[in-house]
Amino acid sequence: MKINEITENIKIAFEAMSVNKLRSLLASLGVVIGISFVILMGWVLSGLDQALEDTFNIIGTDMLYIDKWDWAGGRNWKKMRQRKNITYSQATEFCEKIKSAELAIPNAREFGYKIKYKNEEYQGMSFIGTKWEHSLTPAGAILIGRHFTQFEDDIGANVIVLGYKVYQALLNDGNPVGHYVKIDGRKFLVIGVIKKQGTMLFDFVDNQCFMPIKAFQSVFGRSGRSVSIAIKAGSIENLDEIRVESEGLMRQIRNIKPGEENDFSINETKAFESTIAVLRLSVWGVGIGMTVLSFIVGIIGIMNIMFVSVTERTKEIGIRKAVGAKKRTIWMQFIVEAAILSFFGAIIAFAGCSALVYLTATFLPEFVPATAFLSPVLPYELLLIASFVSIFVGMLAGVIPAVRAANLDPVEALRREN
Amino acid sequence: MEIKEVINNGTTLIDIEHIAKIYQMGAEYVHAIRDISLQIKKNDYLAIMGPSGSGKSTLMNIIGCLDTPTKGKYLFKDMDVSEMTDNDLASIRNKEIGFVFQTFNLLARSTTLKNVELPLIYGGYGASLRHEKAMKALVDVGLGDRVNHKPNELSGGQRQRVAVARALVTEPSIILADEPTGNLDSKTGLEIMNLFNELWKAGNTIIVVTHEEEVARFAKRIIKLRDGLIENDSVNHEQRSLIEDSQS
Ligand SMILES: Nc1ncnc2c1ncn2[C@@H]1O[C@H](COP(=O)(O)OP(=O)(O)OP(=O)(O)O)[C@@H](O)[C@H]1O
Ligand SMILES: [Mg+2]
Repeated sequence: MKINEITENIKIAFEAMSVNKLRSLLASLGVVIGISFVILMGWVLSGLDQALEDTFNIIGTDMLYIDKWDWAGGRNWKKMRQRKNITYSQATEFCEKIKSAELAIPNAREFGYKIKYKNEEYQGMSFIGTKWEHSLTPAGAILIGRHFTQFEDDIGANVIVLGYKVYQALLNDGNPVGHYVKIDGRKFLVIGVIKKQGTMLFDFVDNQCFMPIKAFQSVFGRSGRSVSIAIKAGSIENLDEIRVESEGLMRQIRNIKPGEENDFSINETKAFESTIAVLRLSVWGVGIGMTVLSFIVGIIGIMNIMFVSVTERTKEIGIRKAVGAKKRTIWMQFIVEAAILSFFGAIIAFAGCSALVYLTATFLPEFVPATAFLSPVLPYELLLIASFVSIFVGMLAGVIPAVRAANLDPVEALRREN
Repeated sequence: MEIKEVINNGTTLIDIEHIAKIYQMGAEYVHAIRDISLQIKKNDYLAIMGPSGSGKSTLMNIIGCLDTPTKGKYLFKDMDVSEMTDNDLASIRNKEIGFVFQTFNLLARSTTLKNVELPLIYGGYGASLRHEKAMKALVDVGLGDRVNHKPNELSGGQRQRVAVARALVTEPSIILADEPTGNLDSKTGLEIMNLFNELWKAGNTIIVVTHEEEVARFAKRIIKLRDGLIENDSVNHEQRSLIEDSQS
């Protein structure tokens, strides 16, 4: 195939389309919808992937969390509730005895509590009592100020490091860093702010404030809550070894008899992966069905219009053949036209989706915070994929009409009136 | 006499032996061409006449490689056309044959220039050479000032000139015209015939299908068909020479 013929074919396609603009638009409607589905699906999925990756970066892929609760949630919730709390002394014993881990820190948590700053009360944040080593984990990365020191930890100083969202809320009344806040009537000095870490599914992390565990206990009490243990493996290769040691150690500490089930869970970031996988699957499930359906409609639409085009242009085909156009040239002409028609549909879809995506990502999270993971711009790989898909779909739709055009008998074709 | 010598000494371009073209219409067979044998040499100027339905167009289409015979042998420049693939036929149409039709058959949406360039596009010529050749052909037929007109902005005679330019542009071995004056008034028709005469004088080989004696008189050889057979094949001793006639 000569370059000449290809450029000629592209020109012919544009000519033909510009003659029948409205018809071309209608013909490509199915493709517009199909490509829109592909783009939007890819957009949501890539958002989920990004969220997952962000989460991994926060939590760290080399982290294990021993907890009364199982993150994967697959197990019976009632049964988990019946588990005995992991006490503070069990947790500290564990942290002292574990050998294979780089770090092991007990975390005591109070959910949905309130904080007072300059006579203004803010609600809904969680407080976590932890050790100074928290500052060595990805979740303890500091944005402003500092984390508490080993000394402050040891004496249980009334100092607090705010989560990003809490900091933002308090900012209304002036920068809280270096000032005191009140928690349950006790004064705490704000010494720092944790980096923003939240992603769609895990935005609660920005709502957490950290303080020395002894200070935590003096506010919220020593008992009556289950303490979790954060374990930093140091590397992913160590995870297996640590998991085995942790399980044995914890069973020993909690006096579980051989053959009895664990009454605690060892959670990993894998648990998030499975959450995301379920989400991915449901996006696919809904999306793929709609996509296939609209592409079928798209293919039928384009095929139909191409048949009309072949019939209308029979005479033209005869003329082209009479002056030496080969079968494959004519074939190509109609394939190119169908592909361009479809690609044109894809461009409309790009434009529409870009606007939609921008508006959605900009405004929806204000009403539905869980959608904050959505990006306001379409990833360009997605546009590339959608372009190829649209061209492929167009070519597919064009094959049969193009073969019909190519096989027209030139004498018959020239005899046509139009 | 001089003309006869040309016929005898020229190289054979087309050699048709006992061809037939049979169409099947339901249970019936239509013998568009029953049995025709014919040789055409270089720089021949042939008129094909005969009543409607006698097979003129069918013969023309076969000669022009638009159609293939049901039976018989057709050698074009010693190549056996009946054995050719569709691609080979398209290639011969492109390089060796220039068609002129009664109804002009121009691309309605394309300019004069683009119409004339069309065979060159399929012949693989580059854009600048294409433009140059098409311009020259249009100037040759006297339409150098109409290159950007669309067919519907031209008179019938001008449209047929465009068609002639398109037929000429690839410098084919033979120009085939099926009733080229059929849709033109007699004066315009004569102008077109003048054009053919000039082309013939310049060395081209021309075959014209026509009903009109007036038109046939320009040819140096006249073949008469009837019922798919050659009824008569003779040298035209009163070959009409042009310019003066058309201006009269
Ligand atoms: N595709 C076809 N199918 C069936 N019969 C055909 C076909 N093409 C031509 N014929 C028949 O073949 C015969 C010769 O047709 P052709 O077109 O060659 O005649 P013609 O001499 O060119 O006539 P005219 O002067 O009217 O153009 C006619 O009887 C016609 O009906
Ligand atoms: Mg005819």
